Amino acid sequence: MAVDITLLFRASVKTVKTRNKALGVAVGGGVDGSRDELFRRSPRPKSDFSSRAREVISHIGKLRDFLLEHRKDYINAYSHTMSEYGRMTDSERDQIDQDAQIFMRTCSEAIQQLRTEAHKEIHSQQVKEHRTAVLDFIEDYLKRVCKLYSEQRAIRVKRVVDKKRLSKLEPEPNSTKTRESTSSEKVSQSPSKDSEENPATEEHPEKILAEAQPELGTWGDGKGEDELSPEEIQMFEQENQRLIGEMNSLFDEVRQIEGRVVEISRLQEIFTEKVLQQEAEIDSIHQLVVGATENIKEGNEDIREAIKNNAGFRVWILFFLVMCSFSLLFLDWYDS
Amino acid sequence: MAAAAAAVSASIRERQTVALKRMLNFNVPHVKNSTGEPVWKVLIYDRFGQDIISPLLSVKELRDMGITLHLLLHSDRDPIPDVPAIYFVMPTEENIDRMCQDLRNQLYESYYLNFISAISRSKLEDIANAALAASAVTQVAKVFDQYLNFITLEDDMFVLCNQNKELVSYRAINRPDITDTEMETVMDTIVDSLFCFFVTLGAVPIIRCSRGTAAEMVAVKLDKKLRENLRDARNSLFTGDTLGAGQFSFQRPLLVLVDRNIDLATPLHHTWTYQALVHDVLDFHLNRVNLEETSGVENSPAGARPKRKNKKSYDLTPVDKFWQKHKGSPFPEVAESVQQELESYRAQEDEVKRLKSIMGLEGEDEGAISMLSDNTAKLTSAVSSLPELLEKKRLIDLHTNVATAVLEHIKARKLDVYFEYEEKIMSKTTLDKSLLDIISDPDAGTPEDKMRLFLIYYISTQQAPSEADLEQYKKALTDAGCNLNPLQYIKQWKAFTKMASAPASYGSTTTKSMGLLSRVMNTGSQFVMEGVKNLVLKQQNLPVTRILDNLMEMKSNPETDDYRYFDPKMLRGNDSSVPRNKNPFQEAIVFVVGGGNYIEYQNLVDYIKGKQGKHILYGCSELFNATQFIKQLSQLGQK
Repeated sequence: MAVDITLLFRASVKTVKTRNKALGVAVGGGVDGSRDELFRRSPRPKSDFSSRAREVISHIGKLRDFLLEHRKDYINAYSHTMSEYGRMTDSERDQIDQDAQIFMRTCSEAIQQLRTEAHKEIHSQQVKEHRTAVLDFIEDYLKRVCKLYSEQRAIRVKRVVDKKRLSKLEPEPNSTKTRESTSSEKVSQSPSKDSEENPATEEHPEKILAEAQPELGTWGDGKGEDELSPEEIQMFEQENQRLIGEMNSLFDEVRQIEGRVVEISRLQEIFTEKVLQQEAEIDSIHQLVVGATENIKEGNEDIREAIKNNAGFRVWILFFLVMCSFSLLFLDWYDS
Repeated sequence: MAAAAAAVSASIRERQTVALKRMLNFNVPHVKNSTGEPVWKVLIYDRFGQDIISPLLSVKELRDMGITLHLLLHSDRDPIPDVPAIYFVMPTEENIDRMCQDLRNQLYESYYLNFISAISRSKLEDIANAALAASAVTQVAKVFDQYLNFITLEDDMFVLCNQNKELVSYRAINRPDITDTEMETVMDTIVDSLFCFFVTLGAVPIIRCSRGTAAEMVAVKLDKKLRENLRDARNSLFTGDTLGAGQFSFQRPLLVLVDRNIDLATPLHHTWTYQALVHDVLDFHLNRVNLEETSGVENSPAGARPKRKNKKSYDLTPVDKFWQKHKGSPFPEVAESVQQELESYRAQEDEVKRLKSIMGLEGEDEGAISMLSDNTAKLTSAVSSLPELLEKKRLIDLHTNVATAVLEHIKARKLDVYFEYEEKIMSKTTLDKSLLDIISDPDAGTPEDKMRLFLIYYISTQQAPSEADLEQYKKALTDAGCNLNPLQYIKQWKAFTKMASAPASYGSTTTKSMGLLSRVMNTGSQFVMEGVKNLVLKQQNLPVTRILDNLMEMKSNPETDDYRYFDPKMLRGNDSSVPRNKNPFQEAIVFVVGGGNYIEYQNLVDYIKGKQGKHILYGCSELFNATQFIKQLSQLGQK
């Protein structure tokens, strides 16, 4: 287990201080410690980068607090115990969504900006690495907070969809409501299972038919017998049935498509992530390839020059030898 | 701490990892918070710190803890403003000087100093001096003694150090020309590390050691150190909340200190289990294997540079499930399992590919909403399982490469023949081939292998071979190209141990050879193990295991009866050979002074597997394979 010897350290600092004072050694910061500290601090470059990074982090923190604060209200309003406190209207929720989105956009822009600026003035490799890593951390933080938001949102959307589904069945009287709610539960639990949907859909037209009759009956009674003959009533009934059947099948298809779309969007997210990753890699490969072609071109140039130099060198050697032999001949002729 | 709430047998690896993570979190216990703000820091370590951290935390885990940069202490470091720096170093002179220099150059904003083992008061004052001079006293935020001066390699295995191995090597301890002061330094290093180990483990052991060896010296010093620390009630490291309470005060672990000299044959032994083979045959340090791969067999054109060999290194970590399962299995089993894993991986891959074709076909079908829904669900599950599949493939590749490399060595050096023969020698069954034949056989193994075989033979025979025989052997060995220095040393050692006590016997065992080519070829495996015998290991107990067994179960045995007994918690500090505790121990720690290896470790693991509820930790002052050991022996024999 680790032992905290900070206190021991501070005690040694005091000992050293007193010892230095006693020995009269001027240790540069010994006596005027505090003043010198102030002096020495100010010329140190106040890092722009890290203060801005911290600003971004505090913004994201504020967003997170904001989301968490209103989270309970956001979700709880759908519980049927309508207490006075936890109620939020839809418009308020939309407002929250919008605000959160704007906030997130500004934060990500700020991060991008920081990223481009971070590499400008600095020459040290280590500081560059450090800054990239810091920016990665901040982005990760933002992603986590955004996840909070998107979870909330997903819950809300799901509730809306469920509610719409439930409200579709509202016109049925109470006697069959339990059966319907169980069937709708079944349906909502396994939207991708056909086998359960079909009996549910089959149940629907029957029930609606059964209920439509007395409704129609009441409505028909209310209207009076002047305009409707029995044949017309029957025709209307049949048309109603047909329309209801069509609407139901459409409705089912829409529900299925909704489920599919949700899954596809999830897949889409995964794919875009992967594609973005690959984009970075492909960029680097592209750079490498461009660099390689340039190197090869230069290499070719160099080889060509080398060949020329080789040829030229040979010519000069030949020339020199010929000159030497001529001069020998000349000297020989001159002497004799 | 959750780890401390469990029994002492919570693995030492977990404890050290938790301690490191706490240190990286500014010495505040680490709490995982998914929406926590990022905090960034820089980690500075020296080589000791690097060796300790690298088997435990990967770079990704360091990133998760918020470390942006990790640097060596003695490298060129640039000033990075506004960032806290965590130092994890040994308190040596040069490290302290470099740290003072950093303080003077104002490299970082705040400093958290963590010393691997306890720092002395005078060095602390040096730092204080430098901090004062640089007016940086407030910047030094915290100073800690971490007591982590040991390297954990496995859940239950630790080594003392890697950097200054020569200081505590077998050779250093057994040199004839060693002075007392040097011996003291060596012992102090070992005791310091053992002390740190027990502080991290959080328990005070009962110590038993053999008489008259280096282990005894270590035991005396360790006992003294523990005793001093326990007496000092104010600063004791073993009380209070540091432990998670002494719930296990009833069950104190047993520390068995043995000296390498009881058993010199095991480090030289050729082995047949996966991890030990990798350590013996390939370059394996700190859970990292370095392989050299020759790239292709093309003829290099004239004048070109020599073919460069690719160096690949792999980490064998606890996350690698295949490695954990098969570390200790005999090699043919490993080969088969790799095949099986490869096949199951291929089956999964095919399923994913099949999905692709299904999607392509059904896309145009109109009435296929239901089928589409199934496919989307399947696709989602396939996509989410892709990373898992990729990881599996990487592991399979890794093990295929490693196992192939090992197999090549086995085939080239005929290690299976050596293994079988040595087993027979060590168990004193009759030998079917004469030793001379194997030594003079030109294509069975390197000269080193032959030397090892002969040394094992020499060590395990009851009476020394006659002079004539010895001369014959020596001639054969020199013909094969061996250096005879280790033999000198072993002769001396044998004479010495004969005086002290009878050399340990290895117990009886047999190896069954399952015949050449058997079922391995039938699986059509990639590993064509022609001519490699499929040997099956029968359980045998090495001397160290036997000693441990005796001491743990309180069996009475002439070998271990006169072992000394130390209990640091007892008030009277005398050594009685009469153990006060009559119950068998549940936890034991075996520490070999002078060096250990994976064969002993595997043997202990196998031994303890049969017993319910007991745990063993294995430690040694250094970890060497046979090559390194032979080198040390030849250096010793040269005097």
